[in-house]
Amino acid sequence: MNIVEMRNINKSFPGVKALSNISFSVKPGEVHVLLGENGAGKSTLMKVLSGVYHPDSGSIVLNGVEHSKLNPRLSREGGISIIYQELSVVNWLDIRENIFMGRMQSKKLGPVSTIDYAKLNQDTKKLLKQVNLDKYEPNKMASELSISEKQMLEIAKAISFDAKCIVMDEPTSSLTESEVKKLFEIIRDLKSKGIGIVFISHKLSEIKEIGDRISILKDGNYVGTWNVSDLSEEDMVRLMVGRELEKSYQEGHGSFGEVVFEVKNLSRKDGKVRDFHMQVRKGEIVGLSGLVGAGRSEAMEAIFGAVPKTSGEILLEGKRLTIHTPYDALKNGIGLVTENRRETGFFQNFSNKRNISIASLLKKSKFGGVCGLIQEKNEKEMAEKAKLDLQIKWAGDAQLTKNLSGGNQQKVILGKWISAGVKVLIFDEPTKGIDVGTKSEIYKMMRRLAENGIIVIVVSSEMPELLAVCDRIMVMAEGKVRGEFDITEATEEKLAMLATGNGG
Amino acid sequence: MSQGKTNKFAQFWDRYSTVSILCIMILVFGILRPKSFLTPANLVKIIEQSSIYILLGLGEFFAILLGGIDLSISSIMALSGALTAKLMVDFGFSPVLAILVGVVLFGLGIGVLNGILVTGTGLPPFIITLGTQAILRSLVYILTNARSVSGLPTSFQTTIGGHFLFFPVPVMIALLTALVLSLFTWKTQCGRNLYAIGGNPQAAWYAGITVNRHTVIAFALSGLCAALAGMVNIARLAAAEPNAGTGYETYAIEAVIIGGASFFGGVGIIPKVIIGGLIIGTINNGLNMAGVSSFYQQLAMGILLIVAVTLDRFFGGRSK
Repeated sequence: MNIVEMRNINKSFPGVKALSNISFSVKPGEVHVLLGENGAGKSTLMKVLSGVYHPDSGSIVLNGVEHSKLNPRLSREGGISIIYQELSVVNWLDIRENIFMGRMQSKKLGPVSTIDYAKLNQDTKKLLKQVNLDKYEPNKMASELSISEKQMLEIAKAISFDAKCIVMDEPTSSLTESEVKKLFEIIRDLKSKGIGIVFISHKLSEIKEIGDRISILKDGNYVGTWNVSDLSEEDMVRLMVGRELEKSYQEGHGSFGEVVFEVKNLSRKDGKVRDFHMQVRKGEIVGLSGLVGAGRSEAMEAIFGAVPKTSGEILLEGKRLTIHTPYDALKNGIGLVTENRRETGFFQNFSNKRNISIASLLKKSKFGGVCGLIQEKNEKEMAEKAKLDLQIKWAGDAQLTKNLSGGNQQKVILGKWISAGVKVLIFDEPTKGIDVGTKSEIYKMMRRLAENGIIVIVVSSEMPELLAVCDRIMVMAEGKVRGEFDITEATEEKLAMLATGNGG
Repeated sequence: MSQGKTNKFAQFWDRYSTVSILCIMILVFGILRPKSFLTPANLVKIIEQSSIYILLGLGEFFAILLGGIDLSISSIMALSGALTAKLMVDFGFSPVLAILVGVVLFGLGIGVLNGILVTGTGLPPFIITLGTQAILRSLVYILTNARSVSGLPTSFQTTIGGHFLFFPVPVMIALLTALVLSLFTWKTQCGRNLYAIGGNPQAAWYAGITVNRHTVIAFALSGLCAALAGMVNIARLAAAEPNAGTGYETYAIEAVIIGGASFFGGVGIIPKVIIGGLIIGTINNGLNMAGVSSFYQQLAMGILLIVAVTLDRFFGGRSK
């Protein structure tokens, strides 16, 4: 009997069909890999399994019991345990408290009930032994554990719930090779005890090594389920990404000028980027592809001066730039459209006009904007120009930017950098959470900027997006540049192979 | 209440809340004590008394604008006052030189120090300025031996504490400072940047604003305003008291918050801080006039603060 049996699951969110007719099952003692691009529906499916989302239709059977109204508690009682990518270990609690949080054994001490530490320690030790953490005492603080050890702790916690099926969401994304080996040993041990594992990963070689069966999702659709041994890595990539390309925005390709922007030997203090290099020719749009955490955004942040770097040379139009802060970057004509609009993109307390003018004001002034008066007329004109150029839809330049739609907010941010007259504009996930129509407007805008001689660099996790707008695509993995493709020879398969550390 | 009415009230409140509170208070005290409260002499006195709250409020405004707080202004006020008095009385400085050193340089310097401590340690301004508040207060006692410094030059007293064309000089100092700082916040790029940092420090950093430098500037302005309050205070009292201004940082915070600034930063305007300062002065004066025991004054202040901010929360567009 299967531990998990999900049949014909459908789930829609306003405007999006997140899952359509997905079937998924987990047998005792198997590792079932779930593969798909970002946004394919893996997380949504797992949230349905854990009872966080209610499916619109379909049936879920856990250990032979059908659940029509699954909630997180019932899911846990049904033996489902999920270890998310962002671990939920509480640093300021010790190991045993982390495992038994909220359900500690108590004993009566006269009229008072107290925590039964003896029993707790005993139980904890037993669990730690199962995940190879028995070198630690149960009262060791969680903050002293490494990331992989915290992951083991999460697994121990899952076992303590008597889990029949443990879902691991990209468990190896932040582990070293030897840590991955250890994790796999534990997974094999769990398998031998009849526990089913759902393994979500983008790393194809790992999938080949540890997986038994594989289910592939694509754009919320169910592609199919196979035995891992029956598919080659190429097959997996093809099945995962195979779909029609979006309309292309490249025109007049191949007639680029000389190299105007160059980055050499860029490394970050925290090691997230090592020896990064790139060259961009005039009129060219360069894309950066790779998995989440490959170091693409991290490299761009370092170029922009938002984080400290240990080495690196940045050349613009033959001139060597010294960039220690975003202020230096702005002064030298480099702008960054960040991934998180709300957190780092615009000011919630500012009107559209002010959000657009902020960088331009800074650029003209000395001392980071201490000197100099604001010319309100200029400011107004600047906002008006941005509105027309970018076709921003707003109620007025005095309207707060936070009240605009995501797409229009992004345009305001774009307007900020364009008004500041940047020569290099870096886009980090420029169309995240933006509707299709505005997406294509932003793509066209990028092309127009490039034609006007502005260096455009695009970081994106959506390969179709890169293929649609870029002239050349670089691939990063583990903080390093792994290779690059001219758009004429780039395909999703090739990009994915290189990003997952295969081929290239 | 119908939707339309609620909206109208919300709009009105958003714009005129601070002025309304002031008017209501003047009205209430005027009705309670028509003969003593609503006299020109008393109204001038209120404004004069408020000048210190206004100056402190102006300083606090910049700390709060950045989403922080400056608890040390009361101690800066006292230390600056004591230092300026000492310079004139014991060291024979001329009033102008004493003001330059003891008020302008000292106020800016201490503010810069606060700013450097905040940006350098990365600790919340609350903690840093709680520390400097205690340190500076202690320095006042050490400097003055816990005795008041009197015998200030008459020229100093009559100029700073006196009248110019029938207008109290402390009020003029407060209003002039407010005017300059208003222009600073409205018209300069630095002022605009302070709003940006207060609204979203992360986004400010990514927009190329030198966040640390601006934080130091904000605290420097805070220190300068507090020192100006100290100067006005010793001129009005004709002496520097070592315990001057103790607890006044709460008045300053109240003036700023009742004036509609967001405690989370990025929102607020200086004219409303002036009104906030006047409100504090009016309550203190009015309750005295009404013969209410001073035990009740803090009670009234506390209730007013909570009511004003609660109304903002529900009707004001800014605190959401």
